[in-house]
Amino acid sequence: MLDAAIWFWIPMLLIPLGLWFSISGKAKVLGNVVSILGLALVMASSWTVPNSDSSAAGHLLLWITAPTILLCYGMHGAIFGGNVPVGRLDPSARYSGYGAVFLSLLILCLMHWSSLTPLWRNEEINPYWIVFWPTFLLFSTSLLSLAALALVSYGEDRGPEAVKLAAFSVLMAGIAIAGITFDGNKIAAEQFQDYLWLAAADIFGSLIGATIALGVFAAVIWGHEKSLPVPSNTEPPTNDEIKHVVNLAKKHIVGEEE
Amino acid sequence: MKRKNVSWKLMVLAALLPILVVISINVSLGDELHHESFKRFGNAILTSYVLVGIILVGNLFFYADSRHRPFAPLIGMVCAIAIGLAVAWALISKENLLLEQNSGLRAQMLMNIVHTIVIGTAMALASVLAVGSTFTMITGRKRKRLFLHEEE
Repeated sequence: MLDAAIWFWIPMLLIPLGLWFSISGKAKVLGNVVSILGLALVMASSWTVPNSDSSAAGHLLLWITAPTILLCYGMHGAIFGGNVPVGRLDPSARYSGYGAVFLSLLILCLMHWSSLTPLWRNEEINPYWIVFWPTFLLFSTSLLSLAALALVSYGEDRGPEAVKLAAFSVLMAGIAIAGITFDGNKIAAEQFQDYLWLAAADIFGSLIGATIALGVFAAVIWGHEKSLPVPSNTEPPTNDEIKHVVNLAKKHIVGEEE
Repeated sequence: MKRKNVSWKLMVLAALLPILVVISINVSLGDELHHESFKRFGNAILTSYVLVGIILVGNLFFYADSRHRPFAPLIGMVCAIAIGLAVAWALISKENLLLEQNSGLRAQMLMNIVHTIVIGTAMALASVLAVGSTFTMITGRKRKRLFLHEEE
């Protein structure tokens, strides 16, 4: 337990702590260093504390690092290779970006259907991979569908782009349906069906829990602000104060009359 | 510019419908309601409530900077988180209610935290994909020439 605390839980706590320092501007560089160090230690936890069940999460984070970086790189190239007013890249960055996004999704699919599956202790499948993968598929399907509707609703003449986003959403749904239809390398289709159920429960549960927390936070702030005394109105300026302000203004206004 | 009036209900439906369709296909392929679904749902609600609450307490420090550091909202949020923890403790301790395949209360709570981090990572990566794709579509179109004389 102590080993798990030192090599997994304390580094895990260092990540938000470092981010907090970095975002608040109190110690930006130190905050970034602390966060990166914490993340590296969490990723290494499958070697430092192999007996801890929690280290499977660190192992998963390490395994999805490559597709995550590729996805972020691809999105950056695809966005800034287009028509943006600032920070525009060469138009070829757009196509390399598409390629990187496609490659990252391909790697994730190969992690399900080929030998790239993340294997953890005793050559068994990482238990958090079969939590991550269906959640990613379901949530991206949902968000892409939402984005398609938002684009066609709020944008001007954005029909063709919305259709492409909707098609992307269908593609992600298609990958999920392929998962429940065809066996993966280490995960049978029936097993994936169970985890798809659980992923839906996780998504709805997490969103509802976060919404309740935000509601409570809003209620606490509202209650506090409501309990504060109303600030009293200040007295209007006296004639002497007005004369003083006019004198000050005259001293600082320069220029000749036309 | 004319502002379109779009119902938020339609937006929620657009987000929910694809999940419901995939789950319906899942059901039609023969899978029944997984017996652990309710436990997972309950654990996800309680864990995300507590974790998001802790993040919001951190946010209160920023809020306090502009309000002469009031103590009352901090105490309020700490109490709200404590209630969430107490409910989680009570429901997990009650046999076969929220306890999944774990040895006990502590193991279940630690597993819930790690599980939520993994779910959060999956949702964050999906958000990068969806938001990135939306901006790619927006910037992908050729720029409209508004004033011809600008380029002459």
